Amino acid sequence: MLIRAVVITAGLAVLAGCAAPTRYIDPAADDGPVAMTMDYRDFEKAATDAVEDMLASGAVNNPNGGRYIMVVSRITNDTMQRIDTDQLTKKIRVALLRSGKVVTTTAVGLNGAEDEMTQKARELRESEEFDQSTVQSKGTLQAPDLSLSGKILQRNHKVGKEQQVEYYIQLSLTELASGLAIWEGETPIIKRGPNKSVTW
Amino acid sequence: MKSVLFASLLVLGLAGCASQPEVSNLLADRQELKVDPEVIYITAVTELFEERIPQPDGESLLQIQFAVEARSDAELAWKVTWFDAKGMTVPGVGEGYRKASLLTGQTRYFKATAPHSRATSYQLHLREPK
Repeated sequence: MLIRAVVITAGLAVLAGCAAPTRYIDPAADDGPVAMTMDYRDFEKAATDAVEDMLASGAVNNPNGGRYIMVVSRITNDTMQRIDTDQLTKKIRVALLRSGKVVTTTAVGLNGAEDEMTQKARELRESEEFDQSTVQSKGTLQAPDLSLSGKILQRNHKVGKEQQVEYYIQLSLTELASGLAIWEGETPIIKRGPNKSVTW
Repeated sequence: MKSVLFASLLVLGLAGCASQPEVSNLLADRQELKVDPEVIYITAVTELFEERIPQPDGESLLQIQFAVEARSDAELAWKVTWFDAKGMTVPGVGEGYRKASLLTGQTRYFKATAPHSRATSYQLHLREPK
């Protein structure tokens, strides 16, 4: 009995010693293994490609001066993974805001406002509990000029004893006044790895 | 002898109290192109251009283009850090390195655009991904 307990304890100790410790990863210096699924590095690459191309092409330069107002439209996830597309769009929004060329409205969205407080704050009109001079006036909201939409596609292939997973991150920036896509971009992300890897 | 010792201690004391030297102008020491030795062994940066793209508001965006030629099949990672006129970094979309593969004899051209018009200089770092 004692021997068995000692063996089990020793076995657990060895296994614990072999396990990789939990650690923080610095995105600025991450040379870690690549996953077959989409990870943060893929979104960062797609966002970087998109923003640099938008800035270099001049598509986000407002000819009337000032900043364009952008709304995020639908980004379709046509992959086998559950992806929150905000991982992509947030990076683009932050970078465009920092560039000083584009500001994103959170008051309009396909499924309602991203920040419902814009409307809720206006419901304070007529309320006797609030100083009406501090309540938002009518006609102050800014309508969007540009709409960002897109799609993330996934295609799986067998390549010999390996599998190849192709992701395509497609984005369009539509000028709402004309309905024309004034900028479009596609970032392919191709990964090849063992057949055993799961891509969902 | 005592006075020499006293004077020495006084000088040392004053030196300790002296304000730190200014570090505001180290721009001259920063290399625009920094290539790790492992990468130099298998590739060569054959071109490095920069230009400013005019913007409608009168400002301009810094853009660089560089060419890398591979002596053998190579993997490399590169990153551009942007700086404003005061030498402070200008944040871009992400902080990570961009990976690239080159075939033997292949020359690839890469471009990067500054995230803001206030970027006036840069540092391009090429390294071998582990």
